[in-house]
Amino acid sequence: MEASNDLIALAGNPNAGKTTLFNALTGSIEKVGNYPGVTVSVKRGEMRNAHGKALDLIDLPGSYSLDGGSPDQQIARDVLHGENAKIPKPDLVVCVLDASNLERHLQIALEIIELEIPVVVALNMVDVAEKAGLRLDPVKLSGELGVPVVPIQADKGKGLVELRQALGHPFPPVPEAAWEKGNEASRRAFGLQTADLAARRPEAHSATISDKLDRILLHPVLGWVCFTGIMFALFWSIFSFAGIPMGWIESLQDWATGLVEGAMAEGDLRDLITQGIIGGVGSVVIFLPQILLLFFFIGLMESSGYMARAAFLMDGFMAKVGLSGKAFLPLLSSYACAIPGVMATRTIDSPKERLVTIFVAPWMSCSARLPVYLLLVPMLLGGSEGGAKQALIFLSIYVLGTLTAFIVAKILRGKLGPDEVKTHFLLELPPYRFPQWKYIFRHVLDRGWAFLKNAGTVILGIMILLWAATTYPKLDSDDPAEVLSHTIVGRISAVIEPIVKPMGFDGRTGTAILTSFAAREVFVGSMAQLFHVDEADEDSETRNSIREQLTAETWPDGRKLFSPAAVISLLIFYIYALQCLPTTAVVARETGSWKWGIGQFIFMTVFAGVASLIVYQVAKLFGLA
Amino acid sequence: MPPSLVQDLESDSLLSLTQAQVGCDFQIRRLEGPGCEQLRNLGFCESIQVRKLANGRNLICSVCGTRVALSSDLADQVKVEPADS
Repeated sequence: MEASNDLIALAGNPNAGKTTLFNALTGSIEKVGNYPGVTVSVKRGEMRNAHGKALDLIDLPGSYSLDGGSPDQQIARDVLHGENAKIPKPDLVVCVLDASNLERHLQIALEIIELEIPVVVALNMVDVAEKAGLRLDPVKLSGELGVPVVPIQADKGKGLVELRQALGHPFPPVPEAAWEKGNEASRRAFGLQTADLAARRPEAHSATISDKLDRILLHPVLGWVCFTGIMFALFWSIFSFAGIPMGWIESLQDWATGLVEGAMAEGDLRDLITQGIIGGVGSVVIFLPQILLLFFFIGLMESSGYMARAAFLMDGFMAKVGLSGKAFLPLLSSYACAIPGVMATRTIDSPKERLVTIFVAPWMSCSARLPVYLLLVPMLLGGSEGGAKQALIFLSIYVLGTLTAFIVAKILRGKLGPDEVKTHFLLELPPYRFPQWKYIFRHVLDRGWAFLKNAGTVILGIMILLWAATTYPKLDSDDPAEVLSHTIVGRISAVIEPIVKPMGFDGRTGTAILTSFAAREVFVGSMAQLFHVDEADEDSETRNSIREQLTAETWPDGRKLFSPAAVISLLIFYIYALQCLPTTAVVARETGSWKWGIGQFIFMTVFAGVASLIVYQVAKLFGLA
Repeated sequence: MPPSLVQDLESDSLLSLTQAQVGCDFQIRRLEGPGCEQLRNLGFCESIQVRKLANGRNLICSVCGTRVALSSDLADQVKVEPADS
């Protein structure tokens, strides 16, 4: 028996299709996309070769050469040199090369051959290459390189049997380099000459569909029109179209509440289930359709190849704040969730630009903020949802977060000073492809499941605790306000109220904010619970929405609790505050120091508090309180 | 003619990719400057043919069948001459 499986590494240029091949070989669903730099960390899986022997497979981030560069490319370099502390040197490397671009892709294969590890070349996307008119000769390529070459189409699962066969024991011998080892010029010349032999290009350059599409999508005027249109469609579908499935979830929730109320006698347990669990968790779960749509759109942009175009268009704009087009990808991903956004900054070459991007990424309004916005925004519009006004307010919220991020980025970039080594904008624009629906849907479902899992664990836990804190200790009184003030929450509220009152909030809202520091979407559930208590003698045949309850709330002197000033102030707080512990942990890991993670948390929280205070006080002067 | 003079004359006749005309094919003759390594990694090597697709703050080129966007700073470091038609 062998102690462990042989370790096979997938390596190659960015966007060569390594992760697609990895998924096809291992049956995993790692995220794939059609832009360079989707994989920024090493992925592990298990596969079997043609003889049924288990092999450990690792998917390395794409890199153009083994000289290092951005952090993701350094990971690949270290693993292949056997210098990674966690991953041993691979026993065999599968070089994944894009057949339509061998001149470039061969270079890294040659560098890997110099490392004296057994190598198998997977010549990927042979269909694309042949369609472009290239005449491929894998046999000649194999002869020149001295390694087995297997033509494959990873996305369609073609050639995988042959590839598994090539990974059978004994592994192919360590190849001999047919060029002067360590001499870059000699290696490049050999690569170009081999590419010319093994993949003959047609003489005439013919415009492809991608060329034609780019003529429109990258046009100085039309390109921006399309970009704006795509962004508008993205946000419209989230805020308008998502209303339909959200209605279904709401009816399901009402039905469940009705069922429990009909089946159980009145009492604490029934309250816990209907108010704490169904009401609290349900108020968060309802936003699932929007989160799925957001991930779907981003997946679509990545998979089709448009993301790189968007980065190209945005480069000029980003340069004004000291960032580059490469920062656009991480920042756009942060609209869905800051965590993948922060991870995606690994593709940025300049360390200082990367740090600044990480620092401001959480200000891109993430999907967890959506529930809060969707609760609060209609309150500014007299309770009605939908419509152009709401869309406009939503747009302003996103613009405000983004603009602030850019201003802070500019200031911070100035403070950090220029890079020691100047980096330039250089980005591959991959050909447009039909989206890989299977992966997009699996990825979207994955993210949806992660959201539900969070709702079922963290949020459920906080909801149950909160329910207990708003129920106990009990007081025998008919006045609901008196009962509440006697409970744990009532006491906490009393302490918090003087602090949050200048921002326009009462103690209960303050408590809801406090509960949402672990995860901001908890706020909605907390508000649902904290304000439900007052509604004791109301006829609750049909469950009133939280919003209606909130709108009816008043201060003791009869003023409305949620005046426009207070709602705006709350919104401002949620736009700016960093209430997401996992983000802080990821930032600390990515920057390599807790100083940045904690510093960012404190800075954003203080910023949010001060902004909220100023906005409320100014709005009060204008008579909005 | 001394070889240095030949090189100078050749340099004078070369264009940088920034100056090159959109829609035309060019042969890369030389890379000069700090961004050479980065350019070579993306396929901009001597003797390779490149087609310029668009001008602007960032240029778009087609090299080895791939479209690449690069800053004009970088494009200045790529010296080309018109390809034989």
